[in-house]
Amino acid sequence: MNATAKQYQILFVDDDPDFLAMIQDFFATLGEKIWQIHCATSADQALQLLKARKMDLVVSDVNMPMLDGIQFLHILNRSHPDLKKAVITANATEEKRSACLAEGAELFIEKPRSPEGLKSIFIMLEELITWTPQEGFQGVLRRVGLQDVIQMECLGRTSSILEIHNLQLRGRIYIEDGRIIHAQAGDTAGEAAFYKLLALPSGEFQLQPFESPPKRTIEGQWEFLLMEAARVHDETVAEAAAAGLVSPSEPAPGVEPSIAAPDAGTRVKETLICSGTGDPLYVWQCPDRPARVALLREVAQQAARFSQLMPLGNFDRLEIQLADSRAVAQAGADRMVFVRVSSLKEEPATRIQ
Amino acid sequence: MSNTSQERLAAGTMVPGLLGCGLRLPDSTCLSYSFDEMYPREHWDSILNQLAEMMTSLAGQGLAPRRLTWTFEQGQIFLIPRPDGALLALATQPNTEAAENVDQLAEEFFSLTPGD
Repeated sequence: MNATAKQYQILFVDDDPDFLAMIQDFFATLGEKIWQIHCATSADQALQLLKARKMDLVVSDVNMPMLDGIQFLHILNRSHPDLKKAVITANATEEKRSACLAEGAELFIEKPRSPEGLKSIFIMLEELITWTPQEGFQGVLRRVGLQDVIQMECLGRTSSILEIHNLQLRGRIYIEDGRIIHAQAGDTAGEAAFYKLLALPSGEFQLQPFESPPKRTIEGQWEFLLMEAARVHDETVAEAAAAGLVSPSEPAPGVEPSIAAPDAGTRVKETLICSGTGDPLYVWQCPDRPARVALLREVAQQAARFSQLMPLGNFDRLEIQLADSRAVAQAGADRMVFVRVSSLKEEPATRIQ
Repeated sequence: MSNTSQERLAAGTMVPGLLGCGLRLPDSTCLSYSFDEMYPREHWDSILNQLAEMMTSLAGQGLAPRRLTWTFEQGQIFLIPRPDGALLALATQPNTEAAENVDQLAEEFFSLTPGD
């Protein structure tokens, strides 16, 4: 297998063939053999090229006949959301700049009038093409419960900060290597803050890259923290219902009305957490617990065999993609976990930033 | 297995980060490629047969996977079943082009007709 340096595929789209010829000459030289330059004189030609070949960057003109650069960006944003995009135009205006950036362009550049200008553009594009998005992701998910996200982060043994807010409360949950180590909700810290945040019936959250918290206030296992959070939440709702403030199905008082209330019970389809010997620690909607325990044992055995046959290292997890859901199985010496959740296709996130 | 399958499998798997791959046909015959000496071909039959066993176990619990992803510290094993019972298994280094291109390799696999 070849271990050659990565070659970047860059597509320039401009209805001016002379400009494209100049770009090809100049940038091919500057980019040596690392840049492979493709050219299209129209948006539809560019789309054809994108179908035929994966590109790393598209640099488009704005003023083009038939389909202008802004519409082209709009299409690209939907069809190739991960593709890096830049705009280069002879008629740069603030209005066009705003429109292009809003349509997902990472760079908006005025066409150069000198070789020095071309070189500057090359440097900017090179910076863009080699830029790697920060580890982790930012986003807003609706119809996905906080518990789901925390479970997936912990099962994946990742490190992240979950920022949560609604109209009344703002807080953070720190997860390090799959362990919940700190929570802050307003002036409250520790487990109380964690339960407070998990009791919110609605709001928004963002997963941020991990950074060390100012202090570590939580030590318990995440499974028990989530179970306790569920219990605290149920008690709060029950108490409010008993006081005649809300019906049990409504959110607890003191929090905002539902923005996009999670449809509880349909996201996580089943959960089984048991000890390494198969004793159940937490079971929720598990249709056949002994069968699931047997499955987890088989996963552990097979993973061990794979590790014996190949230098794969320690087993982390098995992900099972199903038609309508997906499941994660972890089988360690001290604990085994099986969680099945509705697939995101079934319950799409409505907004990703 | 015909030359078509072998050629397409080999051509479709020249991807950085791919450690090895194997194909298990419905009649239990196996074909495998190794791209890393630590992932030798002779182990692939065993791995494919174990994966087939796991598919059977999952089916017995009402779980019919479209894909299995085994994640280890140093690598991942992907298993993609075809409706005719054939199984494609790929071992990749994590976070590599091969791991990202599993969908494409799977498409290639699905495009093979059962007789190929």
